[in-house]
Amino acid sequence: MHKRALGAAALTSAAALVLAGCGSSGSTTSSSASAGNTASASESASASESASASETAAPEEVDAKDPSRADADLVIWADANRAPILTTYAQQFADENGVTVAVQIAAETRKQFGDATKVGKGPDIVVGAHDWLGELVQNGTVAPIQLDDATAAKFAPAAVAASKFDGQNYGVPFSVENIALVRNTDMAPDAPATMDDLLKAAKAAKAKDPKISVLLDQPVGKTGNAYYTYPWLSAFGGGIFALKDNGDYDADKVIVNSPEAIKGAEQLAKMGKDKVLSTNVGDDNSEGIFTGGKAPFFITGPWSIPNIKKAGINYGISPLPSLTGGDAMQPFLGIQLFYVSSKAKNATLAQEFVTNYVPTKEFQLAMFEAGGRPPALTEAYEEVAAADPDVKAWYEAGKDGKPMPNIPAMNSVWGPLGQAAADVIAGKAEPKARFDAAQKEIVANIKKAS
Amino acid sequence: MAAVPQTLEPVKLGSGYNTPWWASALKWGLIAAALALAAYVVQRLVANGSWLGVVITAFILLCILAVYATRRAIPMKYLLPGLILLVSLQIWPIVYTVATAFTNYGQGHTLSKQEAIDINVANSVKEVEGSERFKLSIAVPEGGDVATADLAFLLTKPDGSTYVGTKKGLEPLPADGVEKTDTGKITKAPGYTILNAREANKRSADLKAFAVPVSDTAGIKSVGISAAFQGAPTLKYDAAADTMTDTSVTPNVVYSPKNAYFTAPDGKTLATGWKENVGTKNFKTLLTNETIRAGFLKIFLWNVAFAAISVLSTFLLGMLLALLFNDPKLKGKGFYRSLLILPYAIPGFVTALVWASMFNQEFGLVNTLTHLNVDWLGNAWAAKAAILITNLWLGFPYMFLVCTGALQSIPSDVKEAAKIDGAGPFRTLRSITMPLLLVAVGPLLIASFAFNFNNFSLIYLLTQGGPFQSGDTSIGSTDLLITYAFRLAFSGASPNIGLASAVCIFIFFIVALMSYSGFRRTAQLEEVN
Repeated sequence: MHKRALGAAALTSAAALVLAGCGSSGSTTSSSASAGNTASASESASASESASASETAAPEEVDAKDPSRADADLVIWADANRAPILTTYAQQFADENGVTVAVQIAAETRKQFGDATKVGKGPDIVVGAHDWLGELVQNGTVAPIQLDDATAAKFAPAAVAASKFDGQNYGVPFSVENIALVRNTDMAPDAPATMDDLLKAAKAAKAKDPKISVLLDQPVGKTGNAYYTYPWLSAFGGGIFALKDNGDYDADKVIVNSPEAIKGAEQLAKMGKDKVLSTNVGDDNSEGIFTGGKAPFFITGPWSIPNIKKAGINYGISPLPSLTGGDAMQPFLGIQLFYVSSKAKNATLAQEFVTNYVPTKEFQLAMFEAGGRPPALTEAYEEVAAADPDVKAWYEAGKDGKPMPNIPAMNSVWGPLGQAAADVIAGKAEPKARFDAAQKEIVANIKKAS
Repeated sequence: MAAVPQTLEPVKLGSGYNTPWWASALKWGLIAAALALAAYVVQRLVANGSWLGVVITAFILLCILAVYATRRAIPMKYLLPGLILLVSLQIWPIVYTVATAFTNYGQGHTLSKQEAIDINVANSVKEVEGSERFKLSIAVPEGGDVATADLAFLLTKPDGSTYVGTKKGLEPLPADGVEKTDTGKITKAPGYTILNAREANKRSADLKAFAVPVSDTAGIKSVGISAAFQGAPTLKYDAAADTMTDTSVTPNVVYSPKNAYFTAPDGKTLATGWKENVGTKNFKTLLTNETIRAGFLKIFLWNVAFAAISVLSTFLLGMLLALLFNDPKLKGKGFYRSLLILPYAIPGFVTALVWASMFNQEFGLVNTLTHLNVDWLGNAWAAKAAILITNLWLGFPYMFLVCTGALQSIPSDVKEAAKIDGAGPFRTLRSITMPLLLVAVGPLLIASFAFNFNNFSLIYLLTQGGPFQSGDTSIGSTDLLITYAFRLAFSGASPNIGLASAVCIFIFFIVALMSYSGFRRTAQLEEVN
């Protein structure tokens, strides 16, 4: 009796285990080819309410373990912010063409897209940043998009350049974002044109308000931050990669220790010595320092604005200042794109959507509503900029910026360049020697991979 | 029951021993449920074309039937669930990791060679320079099945002239009876059925392969359902020579396979590579690479020290607290105990991030409270201390819990006996309590050591392995082998999962070796008692 009952109990667990056993056997060949059975329930969990009142369904969340596709004529993956509004406009496309469209939220879009596409369960279209492009092409997960010249000309040139890899176009852009100088207008009413002006204003503010402990709030951190380091190099004409004849970044020509870049590094060293920049300010606390009223100036991007507004700070946005002996600091541009999967089951409608629908003013304005970033379509940008001074300010700050490199070699740059900047700011090393070392390390990392 | 020989059991059960009806019903119900579940799983697997999965599911189902539907194999009734778990969650990942370690699997090397060839060629299709865009309607000859009939492109040039393109080539389309929209898209043409969006979409696979030939290399291809362009691939695969030729430049560049990429003589590679077996290359890299070898010893020593000190410090603090709160004279034990569990209840990654901000040199709580100016996360030794302090905070509640449990299970009569023999409290602790305690928690200490040896998240959230010294961001002062492996694999231009798998195998053997010797020790401890 006792044994029998136990046997039955064991059977219960065995039944449950059939699933577990099979779930992982599916990953024999791929990440999650067969785990479908376990996840279908969670898939129906809708993530957020759709803004539209029509029959549009709220976007569904893609389950992390089984990012299986909704059963529709066109499947789009986007992040949680953009999915609701995308749903509304995708529905218009669906109505016009008599098809069904499903927009799903992918929390970790980049990874989920790669994993799911590998096993043929990915979406037809995915929304993502332009610096994923190198990886996506290397892994063969995105398809070229043959945008005609007339349509391409409607976009900001940098946005079009950012959608290209090896001369081939793989994306249709919809927004451009970059960092700029955000100031607390109660502490510093005027936008400084030069770093000297900035420091003068910051010191004056500090004299009035003892709470101010950071003159220029820029994320550095103990391991550094290459994204925020680049503008300092760019002010003297330095950068990370030299450009090829066709405008692409050249992974074989790293210029982190060029004389121009070293000049920028020397500025960083000076800022560190003068206690303007500090490795104690990093990604984790820079926003809190500014919203807490401890810094008059903050180098950041549009992502910080919601919290700055919430904190009730009066702010102004202006281009990054110019450095002594150099030009204005230029930020990297980050461009958001619509990609078409190379394994799209509905490639025809996917191509139709991105080439005929995404490049329209109405659509780009809608995406602006969802993200608050300047639209990539010039016509749409102009309309938004006329009404929203913030958008205009972000755009002006990034007007002469270059897209962040989308070549895979950029992976090798983040660590070494960031750390070099942190060491120089902390006064641990001489700029020239430290950036020489970073150059050497980056080149070695790139070689290691190929 | 236990003494009855197994072979007799069925007889006994069959004759004098009645199984309650509900137990039988439950048993067969569960077996049926397992069957139904398996059928569903197999159906999904077949739909996905995963035949290996089908075979494995069928095998597991057979095992379940053989073990539970019959009265044989009594021990297996208990063992099978565990065995399935062991194989699927332990053995399988190990096998998979080992298999991956012998490949170049990683970014740029995820596809088979044939897929990589196809992708490279497909991605090289460029619009023929100076060519015009067409307005497109996708159609089939009238009377043909929209789902299967040969495709035809009804095309309109910007000047308004209309054409029909089939796989044979491009021909003018007489304007008679042709209707167009304002933009020039043909909506009606005699002799053709125009596909609607959904019908055209259903033929995506055909459209991918379809091009209206206009020259030796170039063809008219669709972009979506309303436009077409004239394009040609600039790469050509030569199957006989196994090379790719780039025809967009003169002289043409020939790419031949090297390191799982198509590589030009000047070293330039095509973007998409393929996955292949590389034999023991990853292991050779690990053993021969200068930087890796130099860093390995340094990291290994800190790794061992980190794990050992973490276990020791958390155990000592946990045990002392447990001894304190085990005192019968203490009031409000329950309250104190639940307070002490708190750090354990908060998710570890939250704690790590909070500690990271507390260790901030300028704004952190630690320096503010102690009036120190230690660069906790920027100095090599201070960072090590910061990590050990954080891990002590994270780990002691667990040890406290375990020790409290073990202490309560030590019979009080041995302590009384020690007291009668004239042993003081310290002597009792050293000679009676501690040995008995260690028997109980010894294996847990080893488990804790193994866990801390690979404590990736703590290091990653607190210091990212840093601070880094003298222009070398590959080896950090607080790196563990596992964080080092992570950076080694993912800091290059192309993340290399094969190499990371090889490192993991090394780590596996190191931990296995240490745990083995540890368990030997505790076994001896048990014999003493």
